[in-house]
Amino acid sequence: MGMAFFGPALVLLTLFLFLPMLLTVIFSFTDFFALNPDLTHFVGLKNYSDIFKDELFTTAFFNTVKFVLIIVPAQTLGALGLALLINKATVCKKYFKVAFFIPVVMSLAVVSNLWMQIYSPEGILNTMLAQIGIEAQPFIYSAEQALPSIAIMSVWQGVGYQMIIFLGGLQAINPALYEAAEMDHASAWQQFKDITLPELKSLCVFVFITVTIGAFRMIVQPMVMTGGGPSHSTYTLVYDIYETGTVNWEIGLASAMAVIFVIFVIILTIIQSVLTKDKEAKSNAKK
Amino acid sequence: MRKNSIPRIILTVVLFVMSLFFLFPVIWMLANSFKMDAAITADMNSLRAFVPPALNGSFFENYVTVIKDTDFIRYMLNTLFYAAILIVAGVIVNGLAGYALAKIKFPFRERWVLIIMMLMIVPSETIITINFLFVAKMGLLNTVFGYILPMIVNPFNIFLFRQVFVSLPDDVWEAAQLDYCSPVKYFFTMVLPMSKTVVATVSVFTFLGVWNDYLWPSLVFTSSDLLTAQIGLNSITSNDNTTMGQTLAVITMITIPVIIIYALFSKQIVEGVVSTGSKEG
Amino acid sequence: MSFIEFKNIEKQYPGADKKSVTDFNLEINEGEFIAFVGPSGCGKSTTLRMIAGFEDITGGELYIDGKKVNDVLPRDRGIAMVFQNYALYPHMTVEKNISYGLKNMKVPADEIKRKTDWAINILGLEEYRNRKPKNLSGGQRQRVALGRAIVKNQKVFLMDEPLSNLDAKLRVSMRNEISKLHRELGSTTIYVTHDQVEAMTMADRIVIMRNGVIQQVGKPMELYEHPANKFVAGFIGSPQMNFYNVTLNGDKVQFEGGETLTVPASILTKLNGKEGEMIMGIRGEDIKLDPQTISIYEADKKSAVVENAEVMGNENNLYFTFGGSQTIARVSKYEISGIGDKIDFVFNPSRVHFFDKNTEVCYV
Repeated sequence: MGMAFFGPALVLLTLFLFLPMLLTVIFSFTDFFALNPDLTHFVGLKNYSDIFKDELFTTAFFNTVKFVLIIVPAQTLGALGLALLINKATVCKKYFKVAFFIPVVMSLAVVSNLWMQIYSPEGILNTMLAQIGIEAQPFIYSAEQALPSIAIMSVWQGVGYQMIIFLGGLQAINPALYEAAEMDHASAWQQFKDITLPELKSLCVFVFITVTIGAFRMIVQPMVMTGGGPSHSTYTLVYDIYETGTVNWEIGLASAMAVIFVIFVIILTIIQSVLTKDKEAKSNAKK
Repeated sequence: MRKNSIPRIILTVVLFVMSLFFLFPVIWMLANSFKMDAAITADMNSLRAFVPPALNGSFFENYVTVIKDTDFIRYMLNTLFYAAILIVAGVIVNGLAGYALAKIKFPFRERWVLIIMMLMIVPSETIITINFLFVAKMGLLNTVFGYILPMIVNPFNIFLFRQVFVSLPDDVWEAAQLDYCSPVKYFFTMVLPMSKTVVATVSVFTFLGVWNDYLWPSLVFTSSDLLTAQIGLNSITSNDNTTMGQTLAVITMITIPVIIIYALFSKQIVEGVVSTGSKEG
Repeated sequence: MSFIEFKNIEKQYPGADKKSVTDFNLEINEGEFIAFVGPSGCGKSTTLRMIAGFEDITGGELYIDGKKVNDVLPRDRGIAMVFQNYALYPHMTVEKNISYGLKNMKVPADEIKRKTDWAINILGLEEYRNRKPKNLSGGQRQRVALGRAIVKNQKVFLMDEPLSNLDAKLRVSMRNEISKLHRELGSTTIYVTHDQVEAMTMADRIVIMRNGVIQQVGKPMELYEHPANKFVAGFIGSPQMNFYNVTLNGDKVQFEGGETLTVPASILTKLNGKEGEMIMGIRGEDIKLDPQTISIYEADKKSAVVENAEVMGNENNLYFTFGGSQTIARVSKYEISGIGDKIDFVFNPSRVHFFDKNTEVCYV
């Protein structure tokens, strides 16, 4: 009976998850070229060594790292800050939650299209900057500004999601802890440092890692807004995997990239579970 | 109001101003989707940029043009149709699997739970190429079937269902057995109605996922008859004849359904979001 | 042949090193009300769930109405069950909860209506007919669970601690209702409880279990008057029977600390010459404080200082130490004493029990 219930999912999982994963690993050791599959050879680790010699891949890798370095701190701290403020708010709490969450439900393509208008040379943002005496910026049309511009937009869209997670964590803290701290004459800062932060620690790790993984997966926004340009300044890892596979049809090479990417994501996840486990072990030891 | 009410008022004001700045792109989008391009440019220098124009004959002109001159309504209906199928199929397939993993003993069950949790980590972008080759090999490119089939099963939804079903009381199933209820009937007439919240959460997330998805439909669909709204949006905005106002009208139209869904199901959405954070704990 | 028959029934969970139920033998007659009673973990619920078919029987044979049911599906065993947590279908109304089984059994609609109405009526649920379980009180939910069981006309009712989630007052009234229902329907009922009061007040016969083993089967008063061993003697009755480590020499019982008691000939006959160290037991109500009884057993008069007094009006318990053991005497309202008071008392010597010191088997 168990298999009858689990069966349909298992068939689909096998077809569209297990098999593709297995094939990705296998293809990564071949020179499989989708337009000419008959000429496939086993090439060992050649794809992997090629990747690291590939200038475009290196560019994509460092672009992605730049995205991560902007997005992760901004989005994590922004979400935490918003959650702390909204948690303290007494009126319009619901409105604030909704306001900061709306961009989350909008699609990547919509947000990208909208911000293309906002970032346009004669767009609303440059007009607003002109009002306060700042000259017009090229934003997504310059190799220097395109990446940070997309990163900021991405934080704007994503921050509400993690804010809601933090709010859930804040509301799960036993209010008696704060009452006890009041009795012990703890200042607001001490309460934050000694109660709120420790209670949110594993959630912080979780948010940090999910935002990191999310930032590493960046593709749709540069795809829609800049096509990875100008001069590959917004070309990302996943974009490279996608183009290598579905545009250039070099499945072998794309698979090797995908394998490296997945290993990277797995390492991040392991780091997260180690960090949170550690915290649980400590809090259990305290009991 | 208790003590320190002045800081609280300041906090509220600060948050309110922040929320306005935060939402300015959305407000601007909405207000200017009703304007002709000349008006958009003219209003740009003043606060009128954030106010819709007066209600006159051309108020909805961008919308009318988009609806008349493009297939956008059709794309939206396509997407609704795909979402409906995927919600039903997804709740059944993932729900049954979640129930099996929660309540039915079968070989390696605990092992499977672990595998499902590990699958949640794998980014879909990494296998999208192979799935695309699969669907192409099966001759299912540009078909509804080819688009939908790989999207039905979802490890995250299986896990979500399992977590909820685990806490269902066993004695209700025992009572139902004595009432001549078969396992399949029990799943559809008892388990799902008893777990309305998670069914709603999964349905809402499935809808948002389908409605907002970009990469997969852009690979599978090239024929314009079957396009989803997001891909249709791309083909409309990349057309040089499309004006700024029309672009804003299209992205407003595509956003309205998700805002409605969010308004109706914000509780389920928030619960779903929070559950991703608490699954670690 | 009896209606339900257990032949050497055993239960061992996979991976467990001990059996949860060992060598369970019992015959139950049609229409009987049987209570399985014992402390938690004694195997009573496991046994019930084996009858229902929710637990596999790992050894022995179970017959219901002459048919071996070891491998029969729960629904085909001809049983109905009331669960500890009611197990109502939360999204269905009272009426739908009760009629659900009949619908699945493809009973004609008019008959479903008739039977459901009958059950709703008999249980006084008329005004809650269209409510959902979450809008019912504990007692009402319990009634719905009962309704769902009786409506199917099954041969056997199984009840698993049905009253344990109710408050004390409601428990008493539901006890009476279940008894009444049993008398009206006459169906064979097996009732699992950890509460000896429920077992004593409702059951025709009681099965006392400990560690998966039947300790004694009998009518309520048989168990009370003639417990098979010290465990049964201690489990049945409230306050608990008082136990003393004693030495019996001739007709003299010697307590720890040197006090003695003369045992009457009627008890000595039953002891059949057994002597030496044993355990003596006596119930609280057989410790007498009234001057009239004391005057009869003047020679064996004891005294003690009251350490605690539970005064409830009709039932009053005095706690004191005697013969090295905590003793509880159950006294009438005329004999209530305060803490620290010195009291005189006697044991009613014809009401004492003797147990083997090692096996705890009851001699008398």
